[in-house]
Amino acid sequence: MSNAWDGPLEKIDNFRWQIPKSYKGGMRVPGIIYADEKLLKDIRNDKAMEQVANVAFLPGIVRASLAMPDIHWGFGFPIGGVAATDIENGGVISPGGVGYDINCGVRMLKTNLEYDGIKDKIENLVYALFSDVPAGVGSKGDIRVTQREEKEILLKGSKWAVEKGYGTQEDLECTEEYGAIAGADPGAVSERAFERGKSQSGTLGSGNHFLEIQVIDQLYDRDLCDEFNLNLGQITIMIHSGSRGLGYQVCEDYARDMIHCLQKYNINVPDRQLACAPVDSPEGKAYLGAMKCAANYAWANRQCLMHLTRQSFERVMNMSWEKMGMFLIYDVAHNIAKIEKYTIDGKEKNLCVHRKGATRAFGPGHPALPERYKKTGQPVIIPGDMGRNSYLLVGTKKAEEETFGSTCHGAGRLKSRTAATKDINLDTLLKDFKSKGIIVKASGRGTLVEEAPQAYKDVNEVVDVVHNAGIAKRVCRMRPLGVVKG
Amino acid sequence: MKNYELLEHTADLKVRFTSPGLKELFVDSAAAISDIIAERKDVKPAKKSKISIRVPLVEGADRVEDLFVDWLNEVISLSAAKEMIFSDFKLIKLDESGLHIDAMGEAMKNFRINTEIKAATRHELKVNRLKPSPRWQAEVIFDV
Repeated sequence: MSNAWDGPLEKIDNFRWQIPKSYKGGMRVPGIIYADEKLLKDIRNDKAMEQVANVAFLPGIVRASLAMPDIHWGFGFPIGGVAATDIENGGVISPGGVGYDINCGVRMLKTNLEYDGIKDKIENLVYALFSDVPAGVGSKGDIRVTQREEKEILLKGSKWAVEKGYGTQEDLECTEEYGAIAGADPGAVSERAFERGKSQSGTLGSGNHFLEIQVIDQLYDRDLCDEFNLNLGQITIMIHSGSRGLGYQVCEDYARDMIHCLQKYNINVPDRQLACAPVDSPEGKAYLGAMKCAANYAWANRQCLMHLTRQSFERVMNMSWEKMGMFLIYDVAHNIAKIEKYTIDGKEKNLCVHRKGATRAFGPGHPALPERYKKTGQPVIIPGDMGRNSYLLVGTKKAEEETFGSTCHGAGRLKSRTAATKDINLDTLLKDFKSKGIIVKASGRGTLVEEAPQAYKDVNEVVDVVHNAGIAKRVCRMRPLGVVKG
Repeated sequence: MKNYELLEHTADLKVRFTSPGLKELFVDSAAAISDIIAERKDVKPAKKSKISIRVPLVEGADRVEDLFVDWLNEVISLSAAKEMIFSDFKLIKLDESGLHIDAMGEAMKNFRINTEIKAATRHELKVNRLKPSPRWQAEVIFDV
């Protein structure tokens, strides 16, 4: 059975396409997809477009149901979807618009190490990281916490980790929301969610999560690279993880409960996975309080993972992390809902911005940014697949104007896991990595094939679109040297 | 023979379960989840403990579908929280108040873990009897 989509699509310009409001009765706004003609062909191959149209049903949605060029078929929302709802105007919040892995996100560290100086040590570093950083399904961290401490993590996020000695004040400054979003309510988190999260602090998880040693192989904007102190041949590190079992359970608890809100608040959505409640309702407030807890847990988790990474480097390189210049550039969330201010029809409004597989991309001068990034704009970190590239970009004013300060979050899947397993041969894949000089260690048996580069779109094409559309600006590109997969 | 098959979905795992009846569908789907998540390591089976899994049937329009997805999520969540892989599912009760199934749980460390299932979603969820046959079929997309 074909999943291809053949609905109406109007070209706005070379990088934007519109699904008209008239496509489905019940759409409150049109759908707008950021893509070029080439990416569009792949995007039409599954039901992602239909999901963009479905999101347009959400009460209070403003301007458009948006999709980034890495969009693909999800459940409820498409992955790569952005939707903002007007809180004062009955705007809703939907757990499906955030996803199960709440605050799945990525952080990037720079180093002052040069590729030529450490190329013989990459293998040792990958093996050290693989043994020091707990990865894989249900993996347990060495950083053990009591239930009381877990509550503290939910409130303090990365700050909890820094207070434990797993990082510095500067790390907090270089994290979205300074590593802890205000308004977290541990009382809204179920016992089961606590139980699922208890042993997983400082764990990478599985699937598409990873830890990667990379080298900068292309500079796009000399001035911005100078601002970030980045150059060709410099080693960088990327960490991709989320809120683990705690976040999954928070999402499921509220996705289930909010089904009843559809009737209670007379909400009409075409997919039960879009279950939602007004942001201002008791149910909406409870979810937001619980979601923020999971977001803070994820930031603490990535802070712990970075601490373990710094320790592994220290052990292998026999040097302090400070001396190696292992400083955090930034940490971004890409599955989250945020209350942000935007001017809509000349009026300042509080919007609930859902980013489901999308990255915040605030431009220069935005008040939410720390002083150090006021001039450059917010660093936007885009991981690609494990065989091709990753990017550092910065946010733009145009993103704030057009996409509620949002841009893409990665390459975006192209092939299903079942298709990847069927089509990709593990031995050939390993040979490919070897020929490219990429050292890979994975804990899951099927992970490597399921997450193979061929299963993803080309991140270079995705980033070209967001750069050319002006909703982020390229700074530099990295290629992978060593990969640890969950 | 496996009573489930994997279907195409770009990002996640879509599974079709087929069973001789509705009661068997609940039991078989849970066994399938254990099969998808884990594979026994070549070690002596550890002590198993009996776990009672109960899911209430709530009011609503899609009662069988709701009960089915709630059931799958309870199995996934309990397995993760207790760090156990379940087997030997035995249906104790399925009535107007909900579902009660007993299972045997064994420590996860005795298994090689293949897939982490985050949750069963309600997107394109289907649970129906294959009329006129007494067989039941369900299709579920799991977030993995």
